[in-house]
Amino acid sequence: MYPIVLLSVLGIVVLYLGFLKSKSILLPATLLFLVVAMIGNFFEWNDGELLYFKGMFAVNKLTLTFNAIVLFSAFMIVAMTQGFQDNEEAQPAEYFALMLFSLVGAFMMIGFENLIMLFLGVEILSVAMYVLTGSDKRNLRSNEAALKYFLMGAFATGIMLFGIALLYGASGSFSLNGIESFVTLNQRSPSYLLYAGLLLVLIGMLFKVSAAPFHFWTPDVYDGAPSIFTAFMATIVKTAGFAALFRLLSHSFSGIYDFWWPTLSILTVLTLLVGNIIAVYQDSFKRMLAYSSISHAGYLLIALTSMTKQTENAILFYSMAYSFATICAFGVLIPVAREKSLEGRPNESYEAFNGLAKNNPLLAFVLTVSMLSLAGIPLTAGFWGKFFVFSSAVERELVWMIIVAVLMSAVGIYYYFRVIMAAYMKEGDTATIRIAPFYKIVLIAATLLTILFGLAPGLFEAAM
Amino acid sequence: MELAVFYFFAFLALGSAVFILLTKNLMYAAFALFLSLVGVAGLFVLSGADFLAITQLMVYVGGILVLIIFGIMLTRTPDKTDDSQSANRILLNSRRRFWGLTLSISLFLVLIATITQATFRLSGMPIKSRSTIKTLGVELMTSHLLPFEIAGILLLVALIGAAYLALNRSPS
Repeated sequence: MYPIVLLSVLGIVVLYLGFLKSKSILLPATLLFLVVAMIGNFFEWNDGELLYFKGMFAVNKLTLTFNAIVLFSAFMIVAMTQGFQDNEEAQPAEYFALMLFSLVGAFMMIGFENLIMLFLGVEILSVAMYVLTGSDKRNLRSNEAALKYFLMGAFATGIMLFGIALLYGASGSFSLNGIESFVTLNQRSPSYLLYAGLLLVLIGMLFKVSAAPFHFWTPDVYDGAPSIFTAFMATIVKTAGFAALFRLLSHSFSGIYDFWWPTLSILTVLTLLVGNIIAVYQDSFKRMLAYSSISHAGYLLIALTSMTKQTENAILFYSMAYSFATICAFGVLIPVAREKSLEGRPNESYEAFNGLAKNNPLLAFVLTVSMLSLAGIPLTAGFWGKFFVFSSAVERELVWMIIVAVLMSAVGIYYYFRVIMAAYMKEGDTATIRIAPFYKIVLIAATLLTILFGLAPGLFEAAM
Repeated sequence: MELAVFYFFAFLALGSAVFILLTKNLMYAAFALFLSLVGVAGLFVLSGADFLAITQLMVYVGGILVLIIFGIMLTRTPDKTDDSQSANRILLNSRRRFWGLTLSISLFLVLIATITQATFRLSGMPIKSRSTIKTLGVELMTSHLLPFEIAGILLLVALIGAAYLALNRSPS
């Protein structure tokens, strides 16, 4: 509860700081506020299971850990914005305030105990994302992406709201506990209203985490948005979305597992196939990362479909490993694309990375580790993420799903290694790219964490 | 009597919705939307949700519909030549009608099947209270205080976003 209150208030403080003449205070202030929220997050660590505001919002170790992942990712992404120093037209106060408020939405999605809170959380996060996607107003592609995201997102929200209404009609309650008791009482005689409601809510949520066949907006939006916000979307929205899905399915609807797992398993396989196979044909690194985010949604869906005792841990670990690796990838992409810009626009194709390793060994190394982690190669955190996901599927004996997933991971290695090959093997001349020291520290920290959790995944469980 | 009023409002809502679908004139569609929303508001009154009905009228008819009509009036027509014969025409044709129709009809059938087989928890209960406003107010300030406050953040985010996107920062 503390981080929600803190960030709501501090977001307004950031807006007021925007009145100051000097914009340089905004970045350190926002980073400080995120640290404050992180400290506030752990105040409730030892309090066990807490319910706030008459069962509207829950706090427990799981939600606190998800909060911490989201906050840490946000910290790294905000640190990489550089305060938008090179852009004299930027209004950093608005960006930072929107980012802080959107985190409030993410916390709502992580800890909701009532479907109204879920809806409000999704909306806060989405509205902030629509605006940030379109923040590069001079760029037509950014405008297109924002409009596309907004229209599709509004439809998805409408579908989800309809689903929530049907769930209320069936169970007479918005709270997760109320729905859960209705489900357990009526396990024998299924209520079609409940089924339809659950399906519609699932469609709305799967849209937000870009699982196939609700993924069609992802490539255009991720490609068109400014890279820094693409990183924000790919990590925080996905982590919060999967936390919400896990909460919904493990809490309220575990009683009708037999109903939703076949649906979800088909969507999982579809997501894996679509994400990985189309990613192979991309020429733009950024667009490839968009498809890769679809495929990672597929791996996370495997854990969700199997829904065993390990699922909780698997989703946590996987989203953390994925977030760190994705932030590293975007962290390398942004300076490289700016250095190699074509006609005033950042060059985000694979060619931009040709010969990167010669003069920029650090960037090439960070890129390599993040690609290895995304591909799931041992000694990186991504490997253990996939391992936990697969082992939870093994426990449920979903063998065919694992076969598809392993095949698709092999496909993934091809397109992840393409950029490593470009950086190390291909001929090209990239001048030494000047990186701010703080930016460098963030990149190194995220890379080290990826390797650390790859060597000792038990550290994460020990911290829980 | 009640049943007749119900059918009247239901026909109003559905009939004007079908009209929106079929008309080629954007202005007619906007006015038909008004009738459709009034029909829905009437249905809300019949089911004892008086506050919801008033909100529906105030927000949709008073706010959104006026916005839509202003939007139509302020948008430039791209082709000036056939202005006089066909004002506010919808110029685009719909494509992929077959798949669109199949999808919507199947969704309609699924929803109809769901609703006819559904057992609503609250159906059949008589409406006791005269007005829902007092209950709503008390609930908003007690058990639903957190959503109420968080909705404020949602509105703030939308406000900042709208102001940011609308801000014109061209050098001239």
